[in-house]
Amino acid sequence: MDDRKLQIFMDSLLPLFKAGVAYTIPLALVSFVLGLLLAVATALVRLSSWRIPELIARFYVWIIRGTPLLVQLFIIFYGLPSAGIVLDPFIAAVIGFTLSVGAYSSEIVRAAILSIPKGQWEAAYSVGMTRGQALRRIILPQAARVSVPPLANSFISLVKDTSLAAGITYVEMFRTAQQITATTYEPLLLYSEAALFYLLFCSVLSGLQNVLEKRFDRYTAR
Amino acid sequence: MIEIRDLHKSFGPLEVLKGINLRLEHGKVLVIIGPSGSGKTTLLRCFNLLELPDQGILTVAGTEIRFAEKAKIPRKTVLGLRQKTGMVFQSYNLFPHMTALGNVMEGQITVQRRSREEARSRGLELLGKVGLSDKAEAYPHQLSGGQQQRVAIARAMAVEPEVLLFDEPTSALDPELVGEVLKVIRQLASEGMTMVIVTHEMKFAADVADLIVLMDQGFILEQGSPQQVLKQSQNPRVRQFLNRLSGDEQ
Ligand SMILES: Nc1ncnc2c1ncn2[C@@H]1O[C@H](COP(=O)(O)OP(=O)(O)OP(=O)(O)O)[C@@H](O)[C@H]1O
Ligand SMILES: [Mg+2]
Repeated sequence: MDDRKLQIFMDSLLPLFKAGVAYTIPLALVSFVLGLLLAVATALVRLSSWRIPELIARFYVWIIRGTPLLVQLFIIFYGLPSAGIVLDPFIAAVIGFTLSVGAYSSEIVRAAILSIPKGQWEAAYSVGMTRGQALRRIILPQAARVSVPPLANSFISLVKDTSLAAGITYVEMFRTAQQITATTYEPLLLYSEAALFYLLFCSVLSGLQNVLEKRFDRYTAR
Repeated sequence: MIEIRDLHKSFGPLEVLKGINLRLEHGKVLVIIGPSGSGKTTLLRCFNLLELPDQGILTVAGTEIRFAEKAKIPRKTVLGLRQKTGMVFQSYNLFPHMTALGNVMEGQITVQRRSREEARSRGLELLGKVGLSDKAEAYPHQLSGGQQQRVAIARAMAVEPEVLLFDEPTSALDPELVGEVLKVIRQLASEGMTMVIVTHEMKFAADVADLIVLMDQGFILEQGSPQQVLKQSQNPRVRQFLNRLSGDEQ
C-alpha cells in the first residue's frame, strides 16, 4: 500500500465507523425489535384457530419470503410515492426490514413454541392458568431459550442486509463508503474497509450471542 | 365431593370411556387400577378437563358440569374447575426455567394473585412438608426424579385444590426413589386430602385407598373397598388381572 492509499484508509476509518454506529446499527436494532414483535404476533396467529387471521398471516409470510428484499425496499421507497405515500429513507428501510424479520423469524418462533413439550401446557393449565398466562409465563420463556441461536443468526444477517438501504438513499455505512469512493476512486480499498467493519460488528454480535446463551444455560441440563 | 355420571369419551372412532359412574366423598382416597389402555389416564384427565368428555355429568366440589356433543363449556367454568383440582404427572412436568420454589410460587402469583411474599412463605412451607426445604433454589435438572416429583406435589398443593389427581406418580422413578414419593402421598392421605390416584403399586393402593376402581376396556369392572376388590372379588377378569400383577412382582 502506498502512502496515499494508507492516508485514504486512515481518513475513512472514522466516517465509516460513525456511519456504522449512528446509522447501520440503529436501523438494524429498531427493525429487529419491531420485527420480533411482529414475528411473535404472526407465530401466535398461525398457531391459533382463527381462520381468517391465520390465512392473512400465511399470505404475509408467503409474499415476504417469495420476493427479494431489495425489490421490497424499492417498492416501499420509490413505488409508494406514486400512490401518494412519500417516506423518509430511514422509515422506508425500517418498514422493509421489519416486515422481512417478522416473516422469517415468525417461522423460528413458531417452531420454538411447537418444540415445548405438551406436558408444559398441561402443567400450566392444571394450576389454573389461562392460555395467555401459560404462554406468557411458561411457554414463551422456554421458547425464547430455544430460539436464541437462530434469532441471533437472523440479527447478524440483518446487520449485513442493512447495506441494501444504500439503494434507497439511506446513508448508512455502505453508502458512506460509496460516497468516499466517488471522490477518491479507490473502490477496492473502501469497499474492503467497509467489509472489515461489517465483520467487526458481526463478530461482536456473535460474542453477545454466546453471553446470552450462557445466561439461559442456568436451567438447562448438560 | 366428586361425582361422575355416565361419562363417555371417544378419540375419533375409538371409545375409551364407555359410561363411567363414580362417587367419592370428601377426604377420601380413590385408587384407579387396571390394565394398560383401559382408560385410567383418560378418566383422570377428565376430572380437570385436560380431556373434554363427550357426554355425562361431572361434579367436583360443588361445580356441576354437563357434557353433551358440541355443547361448549364456558371458559370460566373450566378455569374454576382447574383451580379446585391439582394434578401430578407421571413425568413431573416441572417448569424447567424456574427453581423448585419458583415452581411452587408460580400458580399462586399468576392464578391466585397472591403477593410474592405470601407465595414465597407458603411455597417454603410446602417444600418443607415434602422434605425439600434445602432445595428451594435448585432448578429441576439439579434434582433427582423423586425430588422433582415431590416438588410437583408441592406445586399442585400450592393453589389449595379440593382434590389432588395423580397419574402413575412413581412409574418414571428408579425403584429406590419410589418410597419417598409414596410417603408424601400417604401423609397427605392421613391429613384428609381428597385424592384420585392411578397407580400400579398394589401394596400402596391397598394401604391408602378408601375406594378402589378397577377399569377394563373403558368400563369399571369392579369397585369397592380394597378388601372387596383385591381379596373378595369373584369376577374372573378381576382375578386374572390381579394374578398377572402378583406374577410380575415375583
Ligand atoms: N389423545 C389421544 N388420542 C387418541 N387416542 C388416545 C389418546 N389418549 C389415549 N388414547 C387411547 O385411549 C386408550 C386409553 O388410554 P389411556 O391412556 O387412558 O389408558 P391407561 O389406562 O392410562 O393406560 P396405561 O396404563 O398404559 O397408562 C388407549 O387405547 C389409547 O391409545
Ligand atoms: Mg395411563
